[in-house]
Amino acid sequence: MRDAYVIGAGQTPFGAMPDESYRSLFTAAFERAVDSVPEGIDEDDIDEAVIGSLGVGGRQLGLSGPAATEHAGLHGIPSSRIENACAASGYSVRQAVQAVKSGMADVALGGGVEIMTDMSSDVTKYWLGVSGETEWERLTGTTFAGVYAQMASTYLDRYEATQEHLSMVAVKNHENGAKNPNAHLGFECSLDDAVDAPVVADPLNLYHCCPTSDGAAAVLVASEDVVDAYTDDPIRVAGVGAASERVGLFQRDDYTGIASSEKAGEKAYEDAGITPDDIDFAEIHDCFAIAELFAYEDLGFCERGEAHRLLDEGVTELDGDRPVNASGGLKSKGHPIGATGAGQVAEAFKQLSGTAGDRQVADPKYGLTHNVGGSGGAAVVHVLEREVAE
Amino acid sequence: MSGVSIAGVGAYAPRLRIDAAEFQDAWGQFHASGVEEKAVPEADEDAVTMAVEAAQRALAAAGHAGSDVAHLALATTTPPMAEEDLTARLSSMLGTPADVATRTVTGSTRAGAQALDAALDAGLWADGVAVVVASDCPRGEPDSEREHAAGAGAAAFVLDGDGPGTVADRASHVEPYPGTRFRPTGDDETTGLGITQYDRESYTATLDAATDALDAALDVDAAAVQSPDGKLPYRATDALGVSADAIADAETVSSLGDTGAASTFLGAATAFADGAQRLLMAAYGSGAGATVFVVDGPVPVETALEGDNDLTYPKYLRRRGEITSDEPEGGGAYVSVPSWQRTVPQRHRLVAGRCPNCGALNFPPDGACQGCTDRPDEYERVTLPGTGSVEAVTSIAQGGAPPEFVEQQSKSGPFVSAVVAFDGPDGEETVSAPTQVLTGGVAEIAVGTDVETTIRRIYTQEGVVRYGFKTRPVDARR
Repeated sequence: MRDAYVIGAGQTPFGAMPDESYRSLFTAAFERAVDSVPEGIDEDDIDEAVIGSLGVGGRQLGLSGPAATEHAGLHGIPSSRIENACAASGYSVRQAVQAVKSGMADVALGGGVEIMTDMSSDVTKYWLGVSGETEWERLTGTTFAGVYAQMASTYLDRYEATQEHLSMVAVKNHENGAKNPNAHLGFECSLDDAVDAPVVADPLNLYHCCPTSDGAAAVLVASEDVVDAYTDDPIRVAGVGAASERVGLFQRDDYTGIASSEKAGEKAYEDAGITPDDIDFAEIHDCFAIAELFAYEDLGFCERGEAHRLLDEGVTELDGDRPVNASGGLKSKGHPIGATGAGQVAEAFKQLSGTAGDRQVADPKYGLTHNVGGSGGAAVVHVLEREVAE
Repeated sequence: MSGVSIAGVGAYAPRLRIDAAEFQDAWGQFHASGVEEKAVPEADEDAVTMAVEAAQRALAAAGHAGSDVAHLALATTTPPMAEEDLTARLSSMLGTPADVATRTVTGSTRAGAQALDAALDAGLWADGVAVVVASDCPRGEPDSEREHAAGAGAAAFVLDGDGPGTVADRASHVEPYPGTRFRPTGDDETTGLGITQYDRESYTATLDAATDALDAALDVDAAAVQSPDGKLPYRATDALGVSADAIADAETVSSLGDTGAASTFLGAATAFADGAQRLLMAAYGSGAGATVFVVDGPVPVETALEGDNDLTYPKYLRRRGEITSDEPEGGGAYVSVPSWQRTVPQRHRLVAGRCPNCGALNFPPDGACQGCTDRPDEYERVTLPGTGSVEAVTSIAQGGAPPEFVEQQSKSGPFVSAVVAFDGPDGEETVSAPTQVLTGGVAEIAVGTDVETTIRRIYTQEGVVRYGFKTRPVDARR
């Protein structure tokens, strides 16, 4: 199969935007993606679009893919919506890469959009765990906070990490997010703030949980045959991996990691012909702080049970050896469910293009994005590579 | 008589208690004479769940299993549904055969005695047994005497042909006395006109006439007498021909409150647990009627009547739903009634499946095997014993509950949700399932805590109560 390249990517600010509709948000992200293409792009070059979304206005809406792309002026092209809970647009980018690699498209758009805040607090509760194992897991009174809290209880019981390490994730990601103008919660927090916050689902407190956000993101993927028309500084999709897992926690072999993440990571590394050591920075799905610790281990950044050491040693801070969530992550940048995965790729594109501003990672070659649906029922990993001219 | 005997008695009361002083502080007065404290159902308890607790204990005391039950009667003035046969679900929760004869008796506090009376006429049941369970949790207006007295509890008799207990004599009497205690159709709260002398006359006259009809001598050790409060029974000593001490020896109203249709059953359980050899049970129901039994023991008893969690009055009002909101608009995840119904064996009895290909246990036994991913035509059904160990656990704080559980949390506060590794039938392999853990008197539920199942209300959607298993720490067993 031929190679695929990210030629442009953009996202709206994430946050609470009552003036925006899902269509206007998608259009704004699309415009930013188009504007980011170094040599420019004729919008008519786009052959296909895949839009990630969990629901619109807290409910299902049929044809939301075409509704968004037609609104943005992408007229007449194949367009569809993909649903994989919080991994929806990680998967939509993967679909765009597939379309390009297979030869069915020369340029494809993978994006996502979610509106989560323009409804009453009662209706907002709909989002809380609607993507879980509904008949059994949810009917013990859990939302995703509860399920991740259960995983955290097992992890903290088995290994040396403490609740304070969970708070350290929040401090790090807020410090980064404060440098990101697109962040939903773009402020710094102290360790005391992040330790003393009210409990949501023990052992997770409010600072161990990401917000629900509005937002959209779009990624433009081009084939090796046409990439030169759009950029002189090509960023290759070096590896893609994706995997599923049993949706209910209780049906899994282990609760102290996410098997689908591990499989997706291994596939992406294999695809790219690299090892975890080669990754210069990563955007990780930290929907809950414990998930960032799991990802360190699932993606091979450390051994099982050692994730807390990376935090203790500052390895994953912005100026560390392997910055994680330079964007602020889901915790600070925000989590508009269907837009999150594409937003991570947009961040990686910025970092590899050297346009990430105050949060720029020093001279990266390989960036990894890691997007998880629910408590791990789906995961998708992309490895992007800045191709250095020989 | 029919040769029907009493093989065992079981009794259960919620562990939540409120002291009379809490009402005194809140209202400036307490209207329920002789009630010192009373039992309060948890937000996920009702007459059905308490009935299961009592019936399982009675069966254990009698040395029988749910599969032995040929006749099942439920007596209550507070059925969770005004129309719909609750004995079908009760039968499923107890694991009785599907051809069990079932009876529901309701309408007055005499319902328990009526159900027992009818069961004594219905037996014998060959190798099978009858379970007659009275379970009640009456309510009244917050400032009323009936609400101040209103308690909760359940007790069950297991009847067979060769049990140690015998019914020496029994009699009933009815006489129209409208308006003493009633609950209009559609109301949740029991009320009355409060015509003191008339109410007392209804009570004593019917009990007097029923007792007069007995042939057996009333040389009893104890008398389990209908107790709407802690004072009225003692006004009936002359009518019943028993001493105040005999009544006091079998009373539960001072600690459990008015337990309605379960009142005399709970009295009997208490008296037999204390070693009573000969007992008078004297049930009264408004309308009015009385049914009395002379029962000779000893009878094996298993009870869980102690309280261990004292409520403040505001927390009591929360449990009662007086100051809490219902499920929020906007709804939760939707689980249709038919899809719920398909999982009833799992929810009521923890029925798992063994994979015919690899032998792994699966819960629920549906879809591809969790061990080998084979798709068996059918799993071998395996009923788990219900004990297990917590593998992963969280306590869901305010704001962390999904909409279907907001009402439970509003009433009861934070709840514990866990993944439990349930023991397999051979005690070696386990199979995991998610469940709430009732904390009971145990301070902390942690990874490794040993738990066992019980039946509770899970949630209510579209007006349909969904019952299923929850767990509680083995250390909290009463």
